Amino acid sequence: MAPVGAPDGFLAGPRRAVPREVILMVAIIAVGTLFATQSEFFLTERNLVTVLRNSVDLAVICAGMTLIIIMGGIDVSVGGILAVSAIFIGHSYKAGLPDEVVVPIGIGVATMLGALNGVIVAKARVPPIIATLGTMYVFIAVLFLVIGGTWIHGLPDTLSFLIRGEFVGIPAGVFIIGCVYGCCWVLLRWQAWGRHLCAIGCDEGSARLVGINIDRVKIQAYALTGALAGIAAVLYVARLRNVEVNIGTNIALEAIAATVLGGADIRGGTGSLIGALMGVIFIKLVQNGLVLIGVSSLWETVVIGGLLIIVLTLDALETRRSGRPT
Amino acid sequence: MPALRMSRIVKRFGGILALDGVDFEVNPGEVMALVGDNGAGKSTLIKILAGAYQADAGTITLDGAPVEFKSPQDAWNRGIATIYQELALTGKMMIPDNIFLGRELKRRVFGVSFLDRRAMRERTKQLLSSLDVQVPSLDVWVELLSGGQRQGIAISRALNIDAELIVMDEPTAALAVAEVRKVLQFIRRLREQGKSVILISHNLQDVFAVSDRITVLRQGRRAGVRETRHTTPEEIIGLITWASTAEDDQETPFEGLGAA
Repeated sequence: MAPVGAPDGFLAGPRRAVPREVILMVAIIAVGTLFATQSEFFLTERNLVTVLRNSVDLAVICAGMTLIIIMGGIDVSVGGILAVSAIFIGHSYKAGLPDEVVVPIGIGVATMLGALNGVIVAKARVPPIIATLGTMYVFIAVLFLVIGGTWIHGLPDTLSFLIRGEFVGIPAGVFIIGCVYGCCWVLLRWQAWGRHLCAIGCDEGSARLVGINIDRVKIQAYALTGALAGIAAVLYVARLRNVEVNIGTNIALEAIAATVLGGADIRGGTGSLIGALMGVIFIKLVQNGLVLIGVSSLWETVVIGGLLIIVLTLDALETRRSGRPT
Repeated sequence: MPALRMSRIVKRFGGILALDGVDFEVNPGEVMALVGDNGAGKSTLIKILAGAYQADAGTITLDGAPVEFKSPQDAWNRGIATIYQELALTGKMMIPDNIFLGRELKRRVFGVSFLDRRAMRERTKQLLSSLDVQVPSLDVWVELLSGGQRQGIAISRALNIDAELIVMDEPTAALAVAEVRKVLQFIRRLREQGKSVILISHNLQDVFAVSDRITVLRQGRRAGVRETRHTTPEEIIGLITWASTAEDDQETPFEGLGAA
């Protein structure tokens, strides 16, 4: 009879013989061991905390990407949202506004841009990859038009505690990630909204038949992802205290890679928040380790791409073996 | 008084007359089979009843009161649940999630409403056992269940919204023999619970196994209504094809017509 396993949402669900989280854990331990034997610096507390600090913005965005992919959508514009939001944050600081104003502005702008994606996808019925690709180009254009190839720099360090702070010896990033993933998990598993999100990803027609307001859920999901990109922008500015022209260029693809590595089905319906987070950790560890052992960072993409192909092939083989339609 | 009466229903699609003044009625606690060849108008009639289409002419009354279904939700709210062939289940979700999709039970904790999973599981168990649907576990993806089990879950969902009239579109198509028997059992269970059922089927064996009456449509008109006990498959086949005349259509009184 059917395999019966973990409830959906946090874990990837009962479909796979070996949970994706286990595969990722093995992969993380494998690359970790490899890097540790090649560089004595890799396993030091200082290095791992650095990796964590560099991961927080990707991790935050990845939580939203997981929800979007579970809903059967995709958002390739998160990097653009992050960039535009960071510009607003930078200019607000330059205008002398305090944190209490700057942070809501950054997150608010990002939420509206996300909602714009949602409206285009839901109301104009543009396929999400096209809609968000279009808005991505617009957002990047805004970035160049506004900052014109220069950096906004010298921003205040009043928010640095979000990155560098510690509480009872645990870096602040752990709490931020814990908060974001905890909230998303509650939304996904303990709110009707999350059930509707899954249902839309599984079968939009069925979701419509039972009376779910599909357009509203979609717009809310994209707006939420925008808001998370806004939080990531705040964290980015807090960490680097400047806004560069190449801000956010790779983050959408990294987030999609982490989410799919983490067990989300790109066709929608299933996904795992904890798996996506492990995907982020894997990607960031590979990036860090390759730098430490002096290998060109080009290899980073080869490793991540290779693992993506391996896990997706394993998936396809398992689906074929079990005889279920894809 | 019939529970449901559809009178003189007309539906056109462009130049094609899909339903040409069809009458259709179902009594409380009755299993009414709806049969007819492809294109006879069964689906169109049922979609009008389900609120998916609007009739161009004609009236629908429930317990004598005229009703209008502008959307599937209208029909659901009046206790008419249509279970389509594709069942409208979401395959990669668990059984309670499916039964309560769009109608989740909630409880408030510190002013925030959360899903009441325990209550939904308990209610799911009740519903499944009232129909005698057997599943290995509630925590299993619906797409991994058999066709008969999925039918059982779709019916349970209809019961959960207190549907009084359950429309089943070809529920036994593409099912194995043992599964067909199970689904027919579900239908008998529904009748025992006092529900009305409309069974659309191509399979006369199934129709004769569970129905109380049979309505035959032919080319957008009602070709006849028979009590299952007093008819034969041969007569029904005759009505479905051209072997018998359509005079039944003329002798039905239209008392529901002026109800509006």
